[in-house]
Amino acid sequence: MLNRNPVAAGHPLWLCGFRPFFLAAAGAAAGLIALWIAFLGHGFPLPPVVGGPFVWHAHELIFGFALAAVAGFALTAIPEFTGTAAVPPRPVRLLAGLWLLGRAGFWLSGWLGAPALAVAGLAHLGLVTGLVALLAPRLFSDPERRHLSFLWALLAFGLLIAGFYAEALAGGAPARWLYATIGLLMILIVLAMSRISMRIVNAAIDEQADAAGGDANDERATEYRARPPKRNLAVVCIAAYTAAEFLAPGARIGGWLALAAAAALCHLQSDWHVGRALFRRWPLMLFGTYLMMAAGYGLIGFSLVAGTDGFSAGRHLLTVGALGLAIYAVLNIAGRMHCGRPLDERAWVPLGAAALALSALLRAATALPDAPAPLLLALSALFWLLPFVVWLWYMAPLLTGPRTDGGTGCEGIIDAAHP
Amino acid sequence: MSLLRAWLAGIPAYLWSGWGAVASLFLLFAAWEGASAAYGALILPDPATVFATLAGLIDSGAAWPELATTARRALIGLTLAIAAGSTLGMLAGISMTASMMSRPLVTVLLGTPPIAWLVLAMLWFGASDGTPVFTVFIACFPVIFVGALQGTRTLDGHLKEVATVFRLPARMKLFDLYLPHVVSYLFPAWITALGTSWKVVVMAELLSSADGVGAALAVSRSHLDTAATLAWIAAVVGTLLAVEYLLLEPIKRELEGWRRQEGSAA
Repeated sequence: MLNRNPVAAGHPLWLCGFRPFFLAAAGAAAGLIALWIAFLGHGFPLPPVVGGPFVWHAHELIFGFALAAVAGFALTAIPEFTGTAAVPPRPVRLLAGLWLLGRAGFWLSGWLGAPALAVAGLAHLGLVTGLVALLAPRLFSDPERRHLSFLWALLAFGLLIAGFYAEALAGGAPARWLYATIGLLMILIVLAMSRISMRIVNAAIDEQADAAGGDANDERATEYRARPPKRNLAVVCIAAYTAAEFLAPGARIGGWLALAAAAALCHLQSDWHVGRALFRRWPLMLFGTYLMMAAGYGLIGFSLVAGTDGFSAGRHLLTVGALGLAIYAVLNIAGRMHCGRPLDERAWVPLGAAALALSALLRAATALPDAPAPLLLALSALFWLLPFVVWLWYMAPLLTGPRTDGGTGCEGIIDAAHP
Repeated sequence: MSLLRAWLAGIPAYLWSGWGAVASLFLLFAAWEGASAAYGALILPDPATVFATLAGLIDSGAAWPELATTARRALIGLTLAIAAGSTLGMLAGISMTASMMSRPLVTVLLGTPPIAWLVLAMLWFGASDGTPVFTVFIACFPVIFVGALQGTRTLDGHLKEVATVFRLPARMKLFDLYLPHVVSYLFPAWITALGTSWKVVVMAELLSSADGVGAALAVSRSHLDTAATLAWIAAVVGTLLAVEYLLLEPIKRELEGWRRQEGSAA
């Protein structure tokens, strides 16, 4: 008998780690931007926090929205990648509680002061530490240790959270830690995408071949492979830029490094030139992430080297465009497969991705001279909100309901063809 | 026709693969920017200043005549070296005795520093075009000679026998058997020689000429104008990179295609 109380461990919400965290991520994505646009447009009061509304905006979207998505992804994907047991419901509930505590602590820190801020910091650190404690043994259990880079990324995440809260508690300007986290998230996207894309893109190539009337048993004419050297170059360039921005914000050296990152990401895209299969919805969504990332770093680099506007526009191409699209794709791909459902082939999925891309472009367009910035910001917020609200509409029943295919936890689609 | 189409279809992929090189160059610029910040603009101006200076040189029309003069000298010297080096090298490769004899001479030529040849050339040709042209020729000649020699020497004896047994016409033997093999050795040698010629001609001009990029470098040095110096260097290196990656590298890939296929099949 299934438990109807969502807090109880027996509720289907806790069947797998991604369920609560993906719901939290989508809810945060929609709710946070709704509050933000209400503040920008109508002066709606935001919780007073250290560093002001911009730090609230960045902190919540990075340590709230993105961290929830990362936690959900890591809790589900890493056991799958390493072929180890799924994470049981109890620790997942604890981690979800820490995520909520982190939100509450940070939002109240303006009124309750340093203790609330410290609680928020400890909650965030506890969440990341919990992820590391749960996942590190699994990552080390793989004899080849192929996925260890996720561990380093999680540890770096913890370090940046610690840095942010240490600086915030000391009364400094903690925003640079958030900016550095954006760089880390970009690296994490590159790492995660290389794993997801191998399956998604090759499946699309096969489908394309089938649609063209080819024999399914034919050897693939083209095969997509995510090649490590190109990926490593991109990761190194992004890390170098992130370090430069952290140590010398606004310096031209960072501009060259950002341009290097943009070029390295373009280089990485050459793996994706697989012909028509690229234009199917799932590969295109993932590819769009790289396009946005390259454009974002390119714009940041150009603005720093040439000393022009556009830095913030570039950064929002990274966050709204690359991060938004990547998380939306993961929410749709992992969110369905680990509920035991095949990928959603309805039109709302690609429309949502297109809306996110449009949102990023509208946000970037505010940097154009004589642009009607308030209108563009409002439209950008709307096109960001819609996909996540629609996702919740379609996916929340799935994530809070029991599996219908006989699955009991995180396992992918139960299918005789893919045991 | 389908070959041509496949080749044309490969161009975007080749150009796109250039992003990796672009990323490395931007990393170099970042290091340059960092060094410039550490040592000051007098020692090392930052990349943006240098590129602005270069753009100024191009806009004012000062850059093209100098580059054209330098390119003319380098190309004359290189052409002479390619003609003489390829012919003599292939001839030497045909005969075992000749190749044995020529090896020490090539070592002598390779071992003599270009600057020594330059001094001799200045004595022989004075301030005329002859000095840089001769220096380029003598610096490039041994490289091409060795390439041609090796290309001819490494021809597969079995293939030659097969060709004789099947009585291949001489024309076919030359164009389908000998030339593809020899060219796969010659062409890399020509590319190496091109790089050498471009470097040596600037050095020769710096010391012996009143015009050309080398002479412009000498002037900017005497004015202690580091930015202009680096701008000229950037012009020289940029031209070489463009010629090599946009023109020669694609040809080289095409010519060496048969080798790669052989390697991957094995």
